[in-house]
Amino acid sequence: MKEELKQLKTDALKAIEDIKNSKVLEELEVQFLGRKNGEMTKLMKGLKDLEGDTKKAVGILANEVKKAIEGALGNKKQELTQSEWEEKLKKEKLDITQPSLPKKLSGSLHPNTIVQRELEDIFTSMGFMVLDGPELESDYYNFQALNIPESHPARDSHDTFFIKGHKNQVMRTQTSPVQIRAMQKYGAPLRVVVPGRCFRNEAIDASHDHTFYQLEGLLIDKDISVAHLIGVMKELLQGVLKRNVEIRLRPGHFPFVEPGFELDMKCLVCGGKGCGACGHSGWVETVPCGLVHPKVIEAGGLDPKVWSGFAFGLGMTRLVMQKYGIGDIRLLTGGDMRFLKQF
Amino acid sequence: MLVSKNWLKQYVKLPDSLSPEELGLKLTMSTVEVEGINDLSKSLDGIVVGKILKIEKHPDADKLQVVKVDIGQKLKIVCGGTNLTEGMLVVVATIGAKVLWHGEGEPVEMKKTKIRGVESSGMICASEEIGLGDVYPKQSEVEILDLSLVIPAEAGIQAVGKPIVEVLGLDDVVFDIDNKSMTHRPDLWGHYGMAREVAALYNKDLKKYHPSKIKDGKEFKIKVEVKDQKLCPRYMAVALSGIEVKESPAWLKNYLISVGLRPINNIVDITNYILMDLGQPMHAFDAKHLMTINKIGTDKTIVVRPAKPKEEFTTLDGEDHVLDDSMLVIADEEKPVALAGIMGGLNSEINSDTTTVVLESANFEAVNIRKTAVKLGMRTDSSSRFEKSLDPLNAELAILRAVELIKEMCPKVKVASNLSDVSNFIVNSGPIEITFDFINKKIGQELEAKVIVKILESLGFSVKEKKDRFIVEVPSWRATKDISIAEDLIEEISRIYGYDNIAPQLPVFPIIPPEINEGKLLERKMLDLCIKEFGFNQVDNYAFVSKKQIENLGGVVEKYIELDNPLSKEKPYLRRNLILNLLENIEKNIEFFDAVKLVEVGKVFLEENPGLRMETKGDELLPEQNTWITGLVASKKEQEPFWEVKKFVERLSVIFYVNVEILVSKNTKPWQHSGRTAELVIEKVSIGSVSELNPLKAKNFGLDVRVGLVEINLDRFLEILKKLKPEKKYITISEFPEMVRDVSMTVKTKINHQDIVSEIKKVNELIKSIELFDVYHGSHIEKGSKSMAYHIIYGSFEKTLKTEDVDKIHKKVVKVLQDKFGVEIR
Repeated sequence: MKEELKQLKTDALKAIEDIKNSKVLEELEVQFLGRKNGEMTKLMKGLKDLEGDTKKAVGILANEVKKAIEGALGNKKQELTQSEWEEKLKKEKLDITQPSLPKKLSGSLHPNTIVQRELEDIFTSMGFMVLDGPELESDYYNFQALNIPESHPARDSHDTFFIKGHKNQVMRTQTSPVQIRAMQKYGAPLRVVVPGRCFRNEAIDASHDHTFYQLEGLLIDKDISVAHLIGVMKELLQGVLKRNVEIRLRPGHFPFVEPGFELDMKCLVCGGKGCGACGHSGWVETVPCGLVHPKVIEAGGLDPKVWSGFAFGLGMTRLVMQKYGIGDIRLLTGGDMRFLKQF
Repeated sequence: MLVSKNWLKQYVKLPDSLSPEELGLKLTMSTVEVEGINDLSKSLDGIVVGKILKIEKHPDADKLQVVKVDIGQKLKIVCGGTNLTEGMLVVVATIGAKVLWHGEGEPVEMKKTKIRGVESSGMICASEEIGLGDVYPKQSEVEILDLSLVIPAEAGIQAVGKPIVEVLGLDDVVFDIDNKSMTHRPDLWGHYGMAREVAALYNKDLKKYHPSKIKDGKEFKIKVEVKDQKLCPRYMAVALSGIEVKESPAWLKNYLISVGLRPINNIVDITNYILMDLGQPMHAFDAKHLMTINKIGTDKTIVVRPAKPKEEFTTLDGEDHVLDDSMLVIADEEKPVALAGIMGGLNSEINSDTTTVVLESANFEAVNIRKTAVKLGMRTDSSSRFEKSLDPLNAELAILRAVELIKEMCPKVKVASNLSDVSNFIVNSGPIEITFDFINKKIGQELEAKVIVKILESLGFSVKEKKDRFIVEVPSWRATKDISIAEDLIEEISRIYGYDNIAPQLPVFPIIPPEINEGKLLERKMLDLCIKEFGFNQVDNYAFVSKKQIENLGGVVEKYIELDNPLSKEKPYLRRNLILNLLENIEKNIEFFDAVKLVEVGKVFLEENPGLRMETKGDELLPEQNTWITGLVASKKEQEPFWEVKKFVERLSVIFYVNVEILVSKNTKPWQHSGRTAELVIEKVSIGSVSELNPLKAKNFGLDVRVGLVEINLDRFLEILKKLKPEKKYITISEFPEMVRDVSMTVKTKINHQDIVSEIKKVNELIKSIELFDVYHGSHIEKGSKSMAYHIIYGSFEKTLKTEDVDKIHKKVVKVLQDKFGVEIR
């Protein structure tokens, strides 16, 4: 019987060795180890006829043989599963270079919105409130309250759209009227920015549009100085442009500030050496700004003896064009999806 | 404005080492914006004085001569000039110099050439060929410029070979100053004021402006009557006789040309010179055209009065104007002779037979001048200065200086009349009190008192120190409008001190988070939903729309607010909705794309609804300007784009935690499909609608696709969100399992899903939810009916439901559906 068991082991191991697929392996398992008619089972039926030590020795051997066959079966099974899966994966290969179908419609924000959001977030992080104001404004808020009385020469440079039948209503030419509305509503101290549309009755060409976006900034507190304005503007610009900038102030006249400045930034294209982008001056005119005129603070309902501050205006449309290299301003309002989908 | 460096040098001595670029930069950084610097001498490089040694006929051309010229070396030049003589001093353009061919076009570089076989090393120039045609006008066509007449004989020999710029005093640099940067500085509109500024910047002395006084003449009297002293605070006039109207001397013409003015004759040129020198406009009348008093005797009356209504007047540019009584004129007893502060009249113009002139030097009120100039569409050098509020004291300096110059040029001239001066003005010289503390706080840096005093004094202020403050008196030329409060002085001190010298500082603020702008946040959420989940492209359209657009959508033009002065005559109206321009976008894009989904956020303008206040106090209100979000969906393949936009609004309840009801709309708008429009309602407040565009209206916009439309008033939506303050709360999950039963039925099409749901809900409280999962209209269903299938979910928080119980309720549901709606269960 021992011989038979050894033979069984040899046969079984050999048979398992040669197997190439898991179905045949299952058949083999039944053939050798099947509970009812497996060869092992059949052999073991003879065990009960043996006695004593022989019985014991055969029993041990039988167990060894069984374990050996089981082990071989197990290994083979694992081996086969792995290779069969590998085979399967090969067959399932996809052309992953092909785009997914059906195509998902991809939406897009307008570039104005993207830049406006970036600015709003930066200013909010610096403690500024974001405000909004009417686009159709009164002459009072757009001009008079900003120290631009009727027939002031400064009105010349604001090519204003007037409203028919309402002499005292205009399409706002600047976001500055919200300075007054903000002071009246929130009082002081105050830190606000106002992104929004402005309107000027100007002929349209590649770099001018009658509708454009500004971002107005206003900071009101006690003892605000020219030195503060320089310091804060530098930080703000660095925040907006995400790089170090060098700035300079020079006089600029705007009736709602005193003193008023034009803030220039060292050209980011040439680093100040002079190039086409900065008109070979090395500096780019960026932000008109100044200390808020006491009359404007007063119009805002605050006491100019107590409160002071500064204001600035960022040309947002120009920033959008610079950021994305848009050469023609008309694309922004053209509603062309071939343009819009790029953002 | 153009500013000549030589002109400035009359009044302030500038270091030779100072380059024009440095001066330009200094002015830009401290005073006004210099937009360009033009070195006049550069254009005359290589053009020198030559002396003609010998003239010979050209062997091959009758009209040409071969000329030997000495320019320090000897040159042979072929020339066609007819007025050449041996020994004459001429202008020679050497090889490499640039000349204007026949005085026109772009400069051409001189090259060595052969003219009809004879070599020529340069050119003997006519005045126009070196850009001096206006200074030295030619008498005949082929005449070269004879320098012997220009250069004094004794200087002639030394001049040979020298650059023409040096010999003729043309070595000037002109600064082009941005007028917009000096609208607030009346004093800078003349060279003397600019020189004062430069002197302050470089810490140099400014030459005093001291024209000689004049003695009254006895020939006749001038009587000035000013009818409106508010509009004319000062009027000065004097008559000069013995005038000889002729060409001005070269120095005067050079100055005028350098600042862009064309020389006319000595009298006009002098008034223009004063204009550019002091910034004071003047006018000269021909006295013989001013009527004498009562048409007898010799005395003259000048009346400064408002124009009569519809009074006609021809200005000296030949233009006819009809005036009104808001305009000020200068008149004699009969007729206007000048439009005050703007332009003189053709009827009293100076010309070659003028022998007696009346000079006017006046001061007019800025706003009135500006209004008149705007009304008549005439902006002149004079009006653009008066509208800046000129210093009335300059009127006197100007008239004295003009008399001085005329006498210099015409020695026979006599003062013929009294110097009339009618004035009614106060110089508002302050004083302004300004404390040291104020200065330091405003600038943010401590400046020494003596530095401050020096700066202010250099600009003409007089300063007294008193305890903790300065008492500052404002000079007349800064007192008209420019400087009236302490803040104005801060600008003066800090700009001359130099903004670059102020160290940046950061203010200190308490850490308080800024108030969130809920409106902007809502805008963001809505846009993000459109873009990220539904693939919309955001557009940004103009706020202006056309009559045709309005009518195409079935709107009423009269309701629209209109611009008084639209840029595009076609689109003068302010939008009342965002649809109009969005439809144009769709029409433009649908050609290139199968599906177009566009969204816009923007304000619309409704005159009938109240908006914000127009002034701090008072009842007048602006029109309402709510922000709307509007999305349009169009696809060539989709016949029911309504569902796509509805899907969008269905997300609102989820995102904003409020129940946005989508109700059958009772009043559809003209542009909405009457059978496919729903109103969006939160707590009985309508915030917008979702619909299909009425296909008839779509056709008006050239669209033959179906268009889905969602419109939401974000201000309204925000208002209700702020009121409800909805918050997300977790709902407990029942421990007991739910049971689902389906019901599938045929229903009449007129019956709405919403009605079915509410009836089912009423049946039993164990019904947790009802989900529609299929709708079918088609060939297998009877016409006028639809097939609908629902999952009905039963559940309880208290117990596990028994099948029998659920079945019992479900039977009841079916019965209710049959009884109420006559459905046929499938």
